[in-house]
Amino acid sequence: MLTRSVLSQTALTSELGSQSILNPKDDKSKRSLIAPLLLTALIDAFSILVIFLLINFSSTGEILFISKGVQLPNASSTDVLERNTVVKYESGKFYIDDKELTDQNGLIQELLVVRKQWAETNSGEEFPGIVTIQADKGTKYESLNSIVLAMAHAGFGEIRFAVIPK
Amino acid sequence: MKKKKILDFELNLIPFINLLSTCICFLLVTAVWVHIGSLSVKQAVGGQPASETEKKATAWIFIEKDGAVVFDVRDSRTLEAKMRKSTVPAKEGKMDLETVTKLTQDLKQVDPTLRTALIQPKAETSYEDIIDLMDTVKRAGLGDLGVVPL
Repeated sequence: MLTRSVLSQTALTSELGSQSILNPKDDKSKRSLIAPLLLTALIDAFSILVIFLLINFSSTGEILFISKGVQLPNASSTDVLERNTVVKYESGKFYIDDKELTDQNGLIQELLVVRKQWAETNSGEEFPGIVTIQADKGTKYESLNSIVLAMAHAGFGEIRFAVIPK
Repeated sequence: MKKKKILDFELNLIPFINLLSTCICFLLVTAVWVHIGSLSVKQAVGGQPASETEKKATAWIFIEKDGAVVFDVRDSRTLEAKMRKSTVPAKEGKMDLETVTKLTQDLKQVDPTLRTALIQPKAETSYEDIIDLMDTVKRAGLGDLGVVPL
């Protein structure tokens, strides 16, 4: 019964089976020592990888760089993160686009510089005044308040809190 | 006798493999493994004078130290006086977000023009709690959010 099955017959005359040097399972007298590589399986695996990576692909790229130990808060009603001026609060220090600042006055000065640079490159256009705030979820509002106040002083009206979508 | 024509042919898979390998390399290099979103909020303090600002229904939401959430709806034409101020007590030391959602939906049902919420946290309030509250309020129908500085 078993010897008549499709599987056993396929095994007897299979490509790989016929290449065996010690016990060739083939009725052919002449055998080749070059094993044919099964490329179909390889292409299948590659296709699955490409599809998976395409689903995860983000056209905006990496906007924020999160340091080790920093955890962003979670939120469900989120928008797509856009490329704006990033103000980061980490271990008691403020950073604007990776430039370290110590206090609120420094923040205001730096935000004014950003605004001035924007006005030079986009003359005639209305200033959007958007800042992305990046901080650990355990940060107290007392610290974030300095950023909010500095933004108000420098004429930045819109805040984007960086969050991890739920 | 006419020789039988062979219809089988071999597909050259090497270019496919090259293409897929290139795609995989490119996608692996440019892949973003941590997806980050943003929660849009406006500054509650603006440069425009109060007299020039259009009067519209606004919910002021205060986060207390113990986790209680106080609602104070201002400039609403349809809300009754008793509904304008309400407090959601803390639940096990944390904000009761389920009750906040229900209260926001009730307020929104009575006054559909209510779309703005200004959140006033305390100095000790954690960033996570602020985001949780904003997210809850936004999902409940108040889409225009603002944060009030201390």
